This record gives sequence, structure tokens and C-alpha cells, in this order.
Amino acid sequence: MPVIKEEYQQNCLLTYQGPITVNLVSFLGNYIKSFINYDTKVLVKLFKIYIELTQNVSYYSAETKEVKNGVNCGVGWFTLQEYDDSYRITTGNRILKTDAPKLIQYCNEINVLKEDELRELKRKTRAQAMVRDVGAHIGLIQTSLTSGNKLDFSIEPINRSQSFFIISTQVIKQ
Amino acid sequence: MESLVINEVKGSPYFPFVHFNAETGVCEIRGESYMEETYKFYEPLIQWINDYVRQNKPLVMHFMLTYFNTNSSRLILDILDVFKKYRENGGHVDVYWHYDTKDPDMVEEIEDFMTESGLKINMVSF
Repeated sequence: MPVIKEEYQQNCLLTYQGPITVNLVSFLGNYIKSFINYDTKVLVKLFKIYIELTQNVSYYSAETKEVKNGVNCGVGWFTLQEYDDSYRITTGNRILKTDAPKLIQYCNEINVLKEDELRELKRKTRAQAMVRDVGAHIGLIQTSLTSGNKLDFSIEPINRSQSFFIISTQVIKQ
Repeated sequence: MESLVINEVKGSPYFPFVHFNAETGVCEIRGESYMEETYKFYEPLIQWINDYVRQNKPLVMHFMLTYFNTNSSRLILDILDVFKKYRENGGHVDVYWHYDTKDPDMVEEIEDFMTESGLKINMVSF
């Protein structure tokens, strides 16, 4: 897996790289919620964004690892950084190169929408999602809604078949 | 018909506590919901509700979820759809959503559920 770039490691409160299981997501999520001297409403937002982005890696990473009895989970990384006026949550994972164009289109579509338009897209997408799908396909919409900010993303080729997807958003301190 | 009880499991806080009371029709789902294979958790709940409403008895649902991921929200919507159809067919169902005022986004989430399901949800802050 590509190393986490320096820009995502500065002012880091928490970082992890490896297989992302639901138990790990839960353990570190509860650690985030336990940060003292942080505004509760900001912590709630950080927790929600953290869950959606890390579960995206767990479900959709093109790199997987068997964690128990034939059960695979996605491999990737995430970081939580603190700045003077904001926090930033970032995840990175491998994707299939063929998935890159639709992912770019999806993120760009989310980024041009206003809040009420995002909510409408969320409702429409959720209504169309199949119950047995791994995801409801609205995690990135919800991430943008919760953060109140745009999705910063990049996709860089790794080899013939795979690229590396990095997605990030910030939560402004209150 | 038996009540449905799913207790919280220490170390797995991504499963909510569930108590659907077959005697009183008072149902409660509480905690956080972000488990894997979400439908495997929610389908028995939806099945229980479908079985219960076939008896044409009143039902009161209390959602006390402090966090649910987007996968869970899809299944919660299916529960609300069952309630909506039950009410349209003359059944009596009241839905309450208890939310923490420290959560800046929960009211909007509930409003979205109401818009999507067409079902009135009584919002109760704590």
C-alpha cells in the first residue's frame, strides 16, 4: 500500500493503516468520541464522518485481507488532523482503475450541490438503493452534508489495473 | 406471538438494543447502528413488525438511535414504509424519535425520513 503522504500526517490526532474491520472502526470511533475539551457537536460530526469514510474503505477497497474464517475486509488508511480552525478526516484506499471515472463524476456532482440539493439527492439515492447492497451509496453525500464542506479527493494510478483514491473533508471548529 | 429482544453486546456497540413487545405493541430500538451486513440485522425486525401488524393491534415505535450509518438508514426507511402502509390500511401506529440536542444534524435526518416515507414522526428532544 502507498505510504501516507506527509501532508496527511501533520498535526495528526489519530492515524491507522491496515485492514479496516467493524470492530476497529468501533474501537477508534469511541476513542474519538472520548476526546476531552472538544466541542460535543463537533465530536458528533467527526464521529459520523469517520464512520462513513472508514466503512467505505472497509466495503469498497480493491485491496482486501482475510481477517477471520474466510471473511475479507478492505485495506486502507485514515488520518484525523487538527488545525487552528478545523479538523480534517482523510481516508485512502486502492480502487479499480475502471471505477475511477464514475467516482470522480460522483464526487464532482456532490461538490457542486447546495445543502438542500444534497438532501434531495440523498433521499433519491437512498430510495433507489437495494436493501441487500453492501452500502446504501449515500455515504459520500452524507459526509458532505455532515461536514458542511466540499469533498477533497484525488486519484492516482498505481499500476495497470488499480489506482489510489484519497478523500478528505474538514469540520470547522465552533 | 413472542416479543423480540436483542440485548446490547459489550464490545459490539454497533448493534442497537431492540425490544419489541408483543403484548403491549410498544417497540424500542436504542443505541448506535453501523454493523456489517445491515440487512441481516434489520430483516428480522421488519418481519416481526409485519407479523405484528397482521393482528391489527396498535403499535407505538420509539426510535432512540444516537447514531446510524447510511446503510442502516436505508433499512430504517423500510420500517417506516411498513408503518405507513399499516396506517393507510386503517392500522394505528405512532412513531416517536428521541434525539439528543447535542447532535446538530439529527432533526434534519428525521425530517428527511418524514419526507421520504410520508409518515409523521413525533420528535422528542432530550
